[in-house]
Amino acid sequence: MSSKIIIIATAILLIASFSILFVIETKNHNPDYKKSWTVVYFESPKDNSLDFAIENHLGEKTKYEYEILADGKKVAKEKVEIEAGEKLKISPVLEFEKEKPAKISIEVSAGDLKYGIYKKIQ
Amino acid sequence: MFLDLLKLIFSLPFIFILPGFFLILAVFGWKSTSGGTKISFFEKAALVVPLSLVSVDFLVLGLNRAGVLLNGPILAGAIAIFCLLGYIVFQLRFGKKKRLENEEEKDMENIFDFSQWQTIFILAALFVAVFVRTAYFSDTVVPSATDMGHHMFWVQKTIDEGRLPEYGMPDFIIGEHIVFAVVNLVSGASVMGAMPVLVLFLANIAGIFALAILAGRMFGSAKVAAAAIFVAGVLYAINAPQGKYVSGGVIGNVFGNLLIPVALYFFYRALSEKNSVFAGLFIFSAAGLFYTHHLSGFILLYSIAAVVLAHLALNFDRVLKTIGEWLKAFLKPFPIAILVFSVLYLLFIFAPSYLDSSAIGQATGEPTKLTRTGLNLKQIELNAGSARLVLGALGFLILLASFERKKYKYSFALAWAAVIFLMSWKPAWLFVNVPSNRIGNYLYLPFSLLAAYGLAEFLARFRKSSTVFFSTALLFVLLFFTITNGLSDSNEAFKARPQFQEAVQTFHSAQYLADKLDSGKDILLKDHVNIYGDSWYKLFFMKDYEYPLSRGMLFRYIDPTKPRETCTRDMITIPETEAGKKCFSETGVNYLALNARLEGNSFEKYEEFSKVYSSNYISVFRRN
Repeated sequence: MSSKIIIIATAILLIASFSILFVIETKNHNPDYKKSWTVVYFESPKDNSLDFAIENHLGEKTKYEYEILADGKKVAKEKVEIEAGEKLKISPVLEFEKEKPAKISIEVSAGDLKYGIYKKIQ
Repeated sequence: MFLDLLKLIFSLPFIFILPGFFLILAVFGWKSTSGGTKISFFEKAALVVPLSLVSVDFLVLGLNRAGVLLNGPILAGAIAIFCLLGYIVFQLRFGKKKRLENEEEKDMENIFDFSQWQTIFILAALFVAVFVRTAYFSDTVVPSATDMGHHMFWVQKTIDEGRLPEYGMPDFIIGEHIVFAVVNLVSGASVMGAMPVLVLFLANIAGIFALAILAGRMFGSAKVAAAAIFVAGVLYAINAPQGKYVSGGVIGNVFGNLLIPVALYFFYRALSEKNSVFAGLFIFSAAGLFYTHHLSGFILLYSIAAVVLAHLALNFDRVLKTIGEWLKAFLKPFPIAILVFSVLYLLFIFAPSYLDSSAIGQATGEPTKLTRTGLNLKQIELNAGSARLVLGALGFLILLASFERKKYKYSFALAWAAVIFLMSWKPAWLFVNVPSNRIGNYLYLPFSLLAAYGLAEFLARFRKSSTVFFSTALLFVLLFFTITNGLSDSNEAFKARPQFQEAVQTFHSAQYLADKLDSGKDILLKDHVNIYGDSWYKLFFMKDYEYPLSRGMLFRYIDPTKPRETCTRDMITIPETEAGKKCFSETGVNYLALNARLEGNSFEKYEEFSKVYSSNYISVFRRN
């Protein structure tokens, strides 16, 4: 009888433990659960497209400000608001009077946080 | 989430309990005694997980060889048919004997009938063992461990292709991956989730039970079995080769620590009881071990050799008689059938990737590297744990003091501990040429056995002692030392240091690159040194094991015995130098994933790169 009690108790302990760990893992695998980060990236990293996206994983609705710089000179500045856990795709329309710039940079900020991506234009 | 959890909770017993249960049913019958062979409920329960593991491995190897596509319904059906066959064999062998067995059982003594206090002690030990591990895993359960990532690539490949992979390298062994693929295909639980850790956790706990039945049977005592659960389950629950190996995905060692005591348990019973059923099951479990982990198989071979030689040496006057008795146990239809089955598997079904003469040659002989020349005593103490080592030494001395050369428990316990100690300390004496710290991890097994015996015997002698004050003081000192030292590593379980934030950012960047890159043309280099969980990158691409390229730990680039490639290091460390540029042109690397706060900052200075992805933790650069 003692053996059966030990085996049944072990099974119950393991089921409880496995359930807890499974739930912990599933929740923490979520990029927004108890996390605070942002990501900015080009939608198409290979070509000259300047379409980019901002993902808000800061845990709350956040105001982002982005600036676009052509060879270091500011050519556009916008403010956007993104819900927590949401992604905003942005397709900048830039017109250059003379020749195309060699490098386009996109600088995104949210308060003290700053993120920058840039591309050499081929 | 809860549906997924339920599917996993029901699938685990289906895969890890039912096959072993029906195998045991077919071999031993329903009740505790059958055919003169005694095996208690506790032993059967302890054996179902390891025997299920081996049975499922053999089942899948056979299906794969037959060209059957491995998917959920096929695997579930195959396991169900295996169980049904076990039940049919049981009915044929034991169906009419039930009543007789019932009567037999009442008369026979059972070692594993624990007293009330022993039961409470075991339950408390198991509670602490599971609780401490759960607390530790709660910080590490999100996939991130390097070894686990490497292993899960092969598991995912098996799942994706519906057949077992061809590794093309001796580092991986099929038994390390089969059950994870089966759990995924049957339950749907992702390899990029909690499932791998949970499966290893189950194997780790089953390993504690395996040691307990070995200790209990070897020393013929429920007290020693109970002490073994405490020593193996509670002491150093987090240190390697326990909690850290589970969360770290050191699959071979975790399965090895389960199957080695099981094989030795069957071997002990085969020799000591001259029993052919146990001889057959020894061959079965040993074969399963060889399909799972080469180093553990190597350790088992040395352990068996040491036990056999020690027993023959101690009983030199009756060597031929002893060998004759052993042969009587092994040269019976059941063990011969299992041996033939194992050899046929090896020859015609599946040969482990490490099995060639060069691998055997590499593992034996004079140590060829400094890391293979043995551990010093301090390192051995760290490996085995001070409390375990002290208790083990105590057990060793008590065992020596009551030495009886004819009894198997002496040759088993003493020779097993001695051979693994020597393999770790002076490997050259035994012609062992394997990294000594890896051997040292196995000290845990024989020293837990001896420590359990030492603890149980010490407590028994303390009770009988006439000098109560002295023995009480000694007992308290010993228990204080054992508990404080043995639980010191458990503090780690309660230190909050999860890196979930880094892990999800690593996965996000990997998913971004997998979506945007053409893995046939684009070559990605990621940084293993400073990116957490980076080994899981390859699961997002599933191209081949070497993709993406990786900057490894810096010490790996320095090898006095042979030149190593350094491009994966130089392209991150010195990308703008001639050597760096040459590496880029030779390897074709055009994307780099780096830690945003470290190399990611440096790379912003380099004109040749565009930064296409930026998060708090990861930066991705494209070479223009």
